Amino acid sequence: MDLSDAVLDRLRHVAALPDLSATRYEIEREIGRGGIGVVYAVLDRDLDRRVALKVLEVPLAGEARLIARLEHPAIVPIHEAGVLPDGRAFYTMKLVSGARLDRYADEQRSLADRLRVVRRVGEALAFAHSRGVIHRDLKPQNVMVGEFGEVYVMDWGVEAVGGTPGYRAPETVLDHRSDIYALGALLRFVVPSSAPPALRAVVARATSADPAARYPDVTGMLDDIERFQEGLAVEAWSEPLWHRTKRFASRNALLLWLVAAYAFVKFLLFFLRTL
Amino acid sequence: MDPDTRIGGAADRFPSTHLSLLEAARSGLANEALDRVIALYWKPVYRFIRFKFGKSNEDAKDLTQAFFASALERDFFARFDPDKASFRTYVRMAVERFAAKRHQADTRQKRGGTVTLEPLDEQAVSTESPERVFEREWQRQLMALALDDLRRHCEANGKQLHFCIFEAYDLAEDDRPSYAELAARHAIAETAVNNHLAWARRTLRALVIERLRGVTSGEQELREETRRLWT
Repeated sequence: MDLSDAVLDRLRHVAALPDLSATRYEIEREIGRGGIGVVYAVLDRDLDRRVALKVLEVPLAGEARLIARLEHPAIVPIHEAGVLPDGRAFYTMKLVSGARLDRYADEQRSLADRLRVVRRVGEALAFAHSRGVIHRDLKPQNVMVGEFGEVYVMDWGVEAVGGTPGYRAPETVLDHRSDIYALGALLRFVVPSSAPPALRAVVARATSADPAARYPDVTGMLDDIERFQEGLAVEAWSEPLWHRTKRFASRNALLLWLVAAYAFVKFLLFFLRTL
Repeated sequence: MDPDTRIGGAADRFPSTHLSLLEAARSGLANEALDRVIALYWKPVYRFIRFKFGKSNEDAKDLTQAFFASALERDFFARFDPDKASFRTYVRMAVERFAAKRHQADTRQKRGGTVTLEPLDEQAVSTESPERVFEREWQRQLMALALDDLRRHCEANGKQLHFCIFEAYDLAEDDRPSYAELAARHAIAETAVNNHLAWARRTLRALVIERLRGVTSGEQELREETRRLWT
């Protein structure tokens, strides 16, 4: 049988489609494709609502069930998990409308907006780590920013995932510090290359090749980002004296102006008295 | 798993395809493993040689034949290291080396005369690399073999109608009939058309994976190749 390119492509497409005939779901369209599976927008006929359905090319490990129990505002809730007639695993989750972080960051966004997203992602990671779950494949494509500014971290912790170049930590065995590496890479992705040195130092520490040189936990990194935003010294950077002075001046501009004004008036009075 | 899609159950016609390529080679079924490899790789290798080295139809056939004969003589499977590359890449690189040596030898023999390479029509219009052509032909052949398996499976299990609907809908070059037309043509309900199509696609998928299992080194490579095929 000699297949044309068009028929070959069609067969590759239809053979990969999940058979949902025995479920309450009806495929509407494909909305995403990753290393381990494809996500479809489907209609849940019973509840008359649209949800996202992800079909996995890898077995759904017990860890996925643990993820389903993670309840956090920045973790997409999983509704149902199951196995298709062809043996592939699937799960359904809330269908998030908004923009993926890589697209969101393409647009004109303030540094504060970008850092807010990274902090929300970090909060979700810190929560998951406290429950013993690691993400394993954090990258901009796995973060959604909803239309009301809400942030969702998706595609949690499937063991078969080896990570994505640029975001995957160099160590062979992944643990929570590998997620810190990925969060650092995510921060590098969203901030401009001209970012202040303190922020670049946060990125550098989080993405150290040596896991022990990274932040010990996500909260430590988030604290440093918060310190940067408040104009305080970050732990990741031994600040030069001139920079510390400049930062002090910037944080205490009003006070310095008052002191200068007072000194000027005192000098003026002294000068007038001597006339 | 749906018993219909368990291709290779008790009555499996291809029992050895349950073994991965390396398992088959290690358990003394190397010839059978090679048969599987030849069934899938003959055409891609032939096309690759024509495309990469501009060989004529007959020369490319001879070279392809010679390559597989050489693979039979040498310890072809033992040299394959799944940690370095997929089996598909291993075969392509082996062909490339083999054909390049032969090509150089031919060129030396004809030195003094004029060596002419036969232009390929598709080469003239294609911007694809020979490596991409090889992979595309590999996909085409894999799907063609799985389709033959599906047809035989349908005939053996009284599911000719399933194949007929699948053929009319998914194998149509153009002017695909609607579900309603297919339902009227075969005097069945539209939902039955939908179910028959879903069954055929699901079975085709299982057959493709079974074919792939027989020419990959294990679960990891099988997963990678499956992912590449569907995406």
